[in-house]
Amino acid sequence: MRIALLPTEAGGSYRLTILLLASLGVLVSALPVLVVTIMSFSASDTSGFPPEGYSLRWYGDVARMFLEEDTSSAQSVVDSTLTSLLIAVIVMGISTAVCVPLAYALARGQRRVRAGMELLFTLPLVFPLVMLGIAFLLIAESLALDLGLWRIAIPHVVLVLPFVLRNCLSAMNGISVEIEEAAISLGASPLRAIWDVVVPLMRAGILAGLIFALIISFNEFTITFFMYTIDVSTLPIWMYSRTVSSLDPSTLALSVFIIAADVLLIVLVDRLIAGKGNLF
Amino acid sequence: MSDPHLHIESLSKSFGTVEALKDVNLTVQRGAFVCLLGPSGCGKTTLLRIIAGFEQPSSGRLLLDGSDITGLAPHRRGFGMVFQSLALFPHMSVAENIAYGLRLRKASRQEQKDRVEELLNVIELPHIADRPVSALSGGQRQRVAIARALAIRPKLFLLDEPLSALDAKLRDNMQIELRRLQQSFGVTTVLVTHDQTEAMMLADELVVLSHGVVQQSASPTEVYRHPATPFVADFIGSANLLPATVSPNRTLALLGIDTGVTVPSVTVGALRAAVRSEAISLARSTDEGATATVTFARDLGPVTEWLVQAQGHEIRVRGASHAAAPQTGDRVALQFDPDRISIFAE
Repeated sequence: MRIALLPTEAGGSYRLTILLLASLGVLVSALPVLVVTIMSFSASDTSGFPPEGYSLRWYGDVARMFLEEDTSSAQSVVDSTLTSLLIAVIVMGISTAVCVPLAYALARGQRRVRAGMELLFTLPLVFPLVMLGIAFLLIAESLALDLGLWRIAIPHVVLVLPFVLRNCLSAMNGISVEIEEAAISLGASPLRAIWDVVVPLMRAGILAGLIFALIISFNEFTITFFMYTIDVSTLPIWMYSRTVSSLDPSTLALSVFIIAADVLLIVLVDRLIAGKGNLF
Repeated sequence: MSDPHLHIESLSKSFGTVEALKDVNLTVQRGAFVCLLGPSGCGKTTLLRIIAGFEQPSSGRLLLDGSDITGLAPHRRGFGMVFQSLALFPHMSVAENIAYGLRLRKASRQEQKDRVEELLNVIELPHIADRPVSALSGGQRQRVAIARALAIRPKLFLLDEPLSALDAKLRDNMQIELRRLQQSFGVTTVLVTHDQTEAMMLADELVVLSHGVVQQSASPTEVYRHPATPFVADFIGSANLLPATVSPNRTLALLGIDTGVTVPSVTVGALRAAVRSEAISLARSTDEGATATVTFARDLGPVTEWLVQAQGHEIRVRGASHAAAPQTGDRVALQFDPDRISIFAE
């Protein structure tokens, strides 16, 4: 026998209200994705919505952009994509290297220290991104060094740290001290016990953190907008440059690819940390 | 036959202002099964963790075969430990769990495999080597945790309330199993428990702790028959603690009844006596001297338990069931078994 959670008798309107609100929520959050996806299949040059006809011409444009030498802009889409990916990889590496030991220390340390540190690392999230961008620009300029990729990678690390740290911390929460002590009693040095027992058990959390780092760094725009140079620029900056004067529908087609990749990654994260604590 | 293996010398431990252990002295014989017994917060787990090396004592020494191991790192001690949560490695199979200590000792693959097989046979679970830990039942996990600790041929085998998570029936079986394993391996064992039945079942030697102080350290029979302190008498088998007086001919009287027990002449001041419920017998009586009244009687089959009210004291009595046994409301005369009375100075 199935027992309905929502009242059915004289509760029809209650049900309807909940259904309506839920649909509205889904619609609002899916709307931009829907519009971009539909527009990317447009057959016309104009950016009117809904499109007058449908085609795959903009997808062809994207393919051509990646396969043929691009001479129309200062930096090609291929270069921007590679830069974006390279920065994302650096950001993933650094944030993991910082967060795994940090999460371990915080989880095994005093509660108060932990709460304080969590707050500290979350600070960049509540900071206005424009101010953060200006701050990083001022720092980078005052250094008078050729930072190369690092001028974008370092701010990205700051943005990504809270997400990676949270994931590592919630992974650490499930690992009891006794399990480490068990390894030590069997002859493992404390470091060896961490390597053999703690890190493998944290793996899902670390991977989830890495995926977050990848998505956030790859999509980041605001701070990067302050930091990019002619030589070092990312894909979101390139896409923006193609839409400032007039909307280039091939950018929309490119977006659809990025959205698809992000969705896949989020599904992966969801699988990894299913039932193992919260995302944020 | 005395062959001391582990020696604990005037060991103390404080956490801040809290004294967890006060001047603990203990000698553990080779191959003995020692139970640290006491209520929660008595310091028994702290003592075990100090022996394992996970805590450092504030003062005192630990000697293993005469050499000082007080400051030795826990991973260099070579003691096998079974934790309260069992702490099996969830990302490893049963075989990998058991072989972990051997892997760290750089044993060859064949050696590891043989030892795992041997131990799985000992714990009578030969077919579970490749199973993940998550697929095991509570009792199986227990055995695997024990096998993992024994695989390294530990110098000492330490167990921290390992059976507390099991249900009563399984726990009984595991106690027998554990005792059998310990004897066949001949390993010196220290087990922490708050369960006195478990301790009496397993131990060669019982160490009763209260508030960080060793109350008594002796064989279970000795502890039961001759408790060293009122605490021990009460904690092990809950004895009746009664005020005692000394008659002019220096024999002990309880509730006005002369027990015939001679009191050493050195004792001064008020005395208390501990009498086990089975060391008291009841006789129906209409005599004026019989001042006790049965307030509760329950026949448990082989034995009957009574609660008897006498001079403002409630006394537990336990004895063989028989047809003429006193019933609730009967007036009875009490008789104490003089060999089983322990006397304490107040």
